[in-house]
Amino acid sequence: MHIPDGFLSPQTYLPAYALAVGGWVYAARELRRRVDETLLPRLAVLTALAFVLMTVMLPLPGGTSVHASGIGILAVVFGPWLTFAVVSLVLLLQALVLGAGGVTVLPVNALAMGLGGSVAACLGYRLLAPRWERAGLFAAGWLAAVVPAALVAVVLGLQPVIAHTSDGQPLFFPFGLSVTLPAVLIPHAILGLGEGLLTVLVVSFLRRR
Amino acid sequence: MLLLGYAIAVVAATSVHNPWWLAAGLLLVAALAGRQVPTIGWRALRAVLFFSLVISIGYAAGALFGQAVSLDYLILVNIRVYLLIFLTFTLAAKIDILRALSFSRNLTYLVTLVLSQIIPFRRLFEDLRLAAESRRLRRLRLRERYLQSAAAAVHLFDRAEHDAREIALAMRSRGFFQPDAPDNAPGD
Repeated sequence: MHIPDGFLSPQTYLPAYALAVGGWVYAARELRRRVDETLLPRLAVLTALAFVLMTVMLPLPGGTSVHASGIGILAVVFGPWLTFAVVSLVLLLQALVLGAGGVTVLPVNALAMGLGGSVAACLGYRLLAPRWERAGLFAAGWLAAVVPAALVAVVLGLQPVIAHTSDGQPLFFPFGLSVTLPAVLIPHAILGLGEGLLTVLVVSFLRRR
Repeated sequence: MLLLGYAIAVVAATSVHNPWWLAAGLLLVAALAGRQVPTIGWRALRAVLFFSLVISIGYAAGALFGQAVSLDYLILVNIRVYLLIFLTFTLAAKIDILRALSFSRNLTYLVTLVLSQIIPFRRLFEDLRLAAESRRLRRLRLRERYLQSAAAAVHLFDRAEHDAREIALAMRSRGFFQPDAPDNAPGD
């Protein structure tokens, strides 16, 4: 779901950086307030785990698979701010080490996946879990896949409007909302079912012990 | 200085819309990469190829439906995407990430720990995958594959909790968490 480097205009990524830096500062304060001296190793190990979880193949009917994000699981178990910090660090390392994503798209990817996805997952879980625990977990996984996809689709789809030449040619991403929303949302709404199922299974297993 | 130059170059690459200037920028970065040009060039190409092809083919396909398609746009966006990735990989090859983060002891430790933990986690995940593969007699059903993925994820979570506790103890025993430790103190 990452946006790769070069498809976002400075009019998009510079304000996004301002927003994301605010989020990172708040997340750091929140974590320092909440957690004891195990914060640093816990954050580091979770980041490494999230890095690897994103390579976990999610089985689809018919024998194919896609990779999971693990954001729903992290959000339910550790809360949105720790998840935001972890996902941001994963995205930074992926950009520097693997060339996946990138530096210009880091704030948008981090805000969409790390904050949007985890806040939506937590809200969905808190709304449903008091009455239907499993439905809450499923909603967390599904929302953690779909909400970031929707945010990314909107940001990408606005690029032709935000940055274009005088004759209307796009300067960055070429497709508008009418293309990006269905192209990104429909597959993620389906893949989210798998992510939701995985969230139910993993969190249930973790709580059983 | 190198990081500041990188930040300026990134903003410039996304603010300039002339393909010739971007191509000149690419040549400049290639010169900076020196002998590593073939390695970095190939890595950058592999990283961008799939997405750039999908977008470019999708955009060009618009011509089939009578939409105005610009070759200038295709050249511009592909050069820019390649330049940005090339620039990032060149920077990553030139700088020591940990030295670049040395202004904060906590950040340096955090990134050191992350980088040191990724490899064991990857190895563990691969071991789990191979173990599951070697023990199955038939193709697994969808439900079984989900249970297997979930069990692997739970094992990884257990390992993460255990490792985090171990590292915290090791750091405490070396005085990392003492309040009077200077923020820029070197690690041991």
